[in-house]
Amino acid sequence: MRDKLFTVLTILAAAAFLGTAAHAATLKLGVAGPLTGDQAAFGEMLKNGATLAVEEWNAKGGVKVGKKKMKVDILWGDDRHDPREGVSIAHKFVNSGAAGIVGHFNSSVSIPASTVYAEAGVVQITPASTNPKLTEQGFSTVFRVCGRDDQQGEVAANYIVDKLKLKRIAILHDKTTYGQGLADETKRFLEKRGVKPVFYSGVVQGDKDYTPVLTAAKQKNPELVYFGGIHPEAILLVKQMRERLGMKAHFMSGDGIVTDEYYKIAGKSAEGTYITFTPDQTKLAAAQNVIKNHRKRFGKEVGAYTIYSYVATNMILSAIQATGSTNGSKLSAHLRSKPWNTSLGKLQFNKKGDVLESPYVLWQVKGSKFVEIK
Amino acid sequence: MFAQQLVNGLVVGAVYALIALGYTLVYGILQLINFAHGEIYMIGAYVGIAVLAVLGTMGLTQTSLALSIVLVFLIPMIYCAAYGITLERVAYRPLRNAPRLSPLISAIGMSLFLQNYVQVVQGARDKAFPNLLELGSFQLFGAYVNGLQIFILVLALGLMAALQLFIKKTKLGKAMRATAQDRTMASLVGVNVNRVIAVTFAIGSVLAAVAGVMVGMYYGIVNHHIGFVAGMKAFTAAVLGGIGNVTGAFLGGFLLALLESFWAGYVSAVYKDVFAFMVLVVVLIFRPEGILGGSGGEADRT
Amino acid sequence: MSTYARVPLIGLWFAFLALPLAGWKNSLWIGLGCAAVVFVVSAARASAQSGALAGPAQRIKTGFASAWGFIEEKSYDKRYLSLFLLLIIALPWTLDRYSTDVLVITGIYVMLALGLNVVVGFAGLLDLGYVAFYAVGAYSYALLNSWYGLSFWPALGVGVASSALFGIILGIPVLRLRGDYLAIVTLGFGEIIRLVLNNWDNVTQGPNGILGIGRPYLGEMRLYKPMHFYYLVVVLCIVTIFIVNRLDKSRLGRAWAAMREDETVAECMGVNIVYTKLSAFAFGAAWAGFGGVVFSAKQTFISPESFTFFESVIILCMVVLGGMASIPGVMLGAFILTVLPEVLRELTLFRPMLLGGAMVLMMVLRPQGLLQAKGQRHHLERDKPESKTGAGR
Repeated sequence: MRDKLFTVLTILAAAAFLGTAAHAATLKLGVAGPLTGDQAAFGEMLKNGATLAVEEWNAKGGVKVGKKKMKVDILWGDDRHDPREGVSIAHKFVNSGAAGIVGHFNSSVSIPASTVYAEAGVVQITPASTNPKLTEQGFSTVFRVCGRDDQQGEVAANYIVDKLKLKRIAILHDKTTYGQGLADETKRFLEKRGVKPVFYSGVVQGDKDYTPVLTAAKQKNPELVYFGGIHPEAILLVKQMRERLGMKAHFMSGDGIVTDEYYKIAGKSAEGTYITFTPDQTKLAAAQNVIKNHRKRFGKEVGAYTIYSYVATNMILSAIQATGSTNGSKLSAHLRSKPWNTSLGKLQFNKKGDVLESPYVLWQVKGSKFVEIK
Repeated sequence: MFAQQLVNGLVVGAVYALIALGYTLVYGILQLINFAHGEIYMIGAYVGIAVLAVLGTMGLTQTSLALSIVLVFLIPMIYCAAYGITLERVAYRPLRNAPRLSPLISAIGMSLFLQNYVQVVQGARDKAFPNLLELGSFQLFGAYVNGLQIFILVLALGLMAALQLFIKKTKLGKAMRATAQDRTMASLVGVNVNRVIAVTFAIGSVLAAVAGVMVGMYYGIVNHHIGFVAGMKAFTAAVLGGIGNVTGAFLGGFLLALLESFWAGYVSAVYKDVFAFMVLVVVLIFRPEGILGGSGGEADRT
Repeated sequence: MSTYARVPLIGLWFAFLALPLAGWKNSLWIGLGCAAVVFVVSAARASAQSGALAGPAQRIKTGFASAWGFIEEKSYDKRYLSLFLLLIIALPWTLDRYSTDVLVITGIYVMLALGLNVVVGFAGLLDLGYVAFYAVGAYSYALLNSWYGLSFWPALGVGVASSALFGIILGIPVLRLRGDYLAIVTLGFGEIIRLVLNNWDNVTQGPNGILGIGRPYLGEMRLYKPMHFYYLVVVLCIVTIFIVNRLDKSRLGRAWAAMREDETVAECMGVNIVYTKLSAFAFGAAWAGFGGVVFSAKQTFISPESFTFFESVIILCMVVLGGMASIPGVMLGAFILTVLPEVLRELTLFRPMLLGGAMVLMMVLRPQGLLQAKGQRHHLERDKPESKTGAGR
């Protein structure tokens, strides 16, 4: 009986090795981001933008690679904004022969995943990862259609120096990659312009009471408090500045606080807050078509990153059609070679894979909404 | 700056103190760290939001402010008491005779469960706690003081006094003290130990609920993570004051918050939590009975 | 009152509890769900008592026991062992890169869980900051590699040594502490390490983490594919299992067990508690360092967010779920908790909640875990430490 069992097990094991999947003749595009979990709302924007673009291509018969037209097939990757998942998914995409990647969403995921794509020579365009490090690694396969945190810092610093003409600046950040990056870049550009911040400190993300650090900042009489971070902390900071400590200084932050909750919860205290953010896409002439189609297809308005994801998808597919190849180095050379007319207007990549022109402008909270400052 | 940091610290201290009482009460009776206690506090804040939403649609927040304030505290208190009792019944009572690691692991599990249950049903995003009480502010010794801060301090002190009276004067309070001293003896002289334990959990949870609603009112924003950090801090406060000791926990709460506030203001804001954990570690190692000494340190228990 | 009369009451009670947070519709479902669970459990209990189900229940129980006994027996049979090994070796050739990568992560967790098992399972010291040692290992390689270009293999040694050193550093001050106090101090220690990593910008790059960590080389071959790491991890896992198994059976292992059961008695019997405790911390931490070095080589990027308290809890969950002190149990726990979430992707949102619930249920219903450790089998059944209760019921 023992030997029988042994034979059966051996045969079963051998059988497990039989059968390999055949590759279908479609063009595969990897799209990855936090599709489930607490950031699923962002994932949905990514998903809808890519879906819209791919459906348009497929309606036209697909992408022409060499002589034959190929339908595009999206491979979805749910990284749950976890760096480890991101790497696993990168391997999955590379393994299933993805011709290009749209994603990932979060910088902390895009960066480790980009190593895998670069090693495999697969082009990656992220619609949302703004951390400078991503394109500073020297990989030729990495691109982004969104801005960089340091560009945001530059815009903020210039506005403070040129328009507001303020000298006493306090800088706070939430000790995250995004928040600290933003604060450090703003600080760097301020110092470049001859303004040395009077106060600089991190705060603990997730904490509720920031009065101790704000009290310390208040001692330096800042005219403006700059915060690198996202909206929950920004709400608490601005509320406690105004309501608990009676501070009158301006408050400025980056795109991380642009949510309705910011002015809804912070109320009066939020009035007058300056924000660096991308120009209002919904007003762009080039974007009107996407916005209309998105409404028709999904029955709702585009999100902040939908159009970026749409543009990234289109760029990869057009590059494949133009070069007639899915070879990573050919594609990345082509992507860099010319200015692109996109739904976000004209875009051109520099050597690193960043867009040439800084896409950031100043916004302000006025009458409980965000208004672009002209 | 000193006066301002003092004010900053006192408000946080009131919150820590109220939560710390729950840890200390339960520890005094069961020698168990109720790891999920911080989550009860978080649930208190969320129930407060739900109550306010209902009151708002009924229009009661406009017509009767006083009644609204009473309800916004009372209903979370009832709910949290229910949660506390259920928690004890489900996760701790079956393990009362198990090896000591078991209830602790069960407590961690319960904490994880409650926190993520709230995330699932309420969403991961921060929730606004509507502004109910608009109070002005004034200057005192160069410090900004807000009416809400005074309200919070008075409420915390009042609750502490009430708790002391309850423990010292009522029959149930005496039963609690008896159970804390010796569970077996207490049961022999006719104390219903299970009931006393349930009451202890209920009282701790009620205090946590008050802390939760207070935090919601004061900061205006709540999420499902707040329980973990606050729980850790409050536990540190309880240890600092001498775990098992009611007055100690209360004082420990204020002491820890003041230390933190000064540390963050004068030394380093980012190392604030490191400092708090250091305090915890140092106290546990060098003076495990705390500043006031608990109901027996841990040395005599296995 | 009959058991069944409670059922609707319990359902109502949980519906009431859920009401303000979940809304009335969800609360209704929650209430119904709880009632159903209670009904099934009490029905099962009642029929077990009346003996109606005794036959089948007994058969399932003995079935399990004999299946497990069979596996255990076979695991010492060289032929089955080599067949199993062959399977493990051949596995990545049938899987795609993604699944292989998941298995690599599983392997790292197996190492971590086995290491934590030394501390929690063997020595009975509840460590809630275990992830700190994992972080120490990961950062030692990342930093030494990016500063001095230290390659993987010596770094493996350095990582293990520095983690073990941290284990001892933590161990010395907590020698006096027992049980839940120890748990809290280790939790605090874990958080301190993570916060320092996040805040010490000059050294650790703070929240940005460390980029571009070098890949290992094997002779001339650069290891970068999941399959390479798979074999690396398999080898390291085998080493871990071998050593941990030896440790368990050694003199030191028996000293750990004695200390776990009763520290005072163990000391009276001549067990050197200081040495025994510190060695448990050091050995446990060493495996975490092992895992950490492999993790950073595999990821090429690490940042403090990979080393949160939740990570410690997951590893603890693997140990508890699988069966404390049981080596195959812990491995099973690690396997289940890494592979299951991949299979049940739709449940991502519910995962931490289910984990928490599972921990409670496990403690209440089956504290010994899925696979019970061999040595404890007789022991746990009568293990009712003298208690202070006696009241109630």
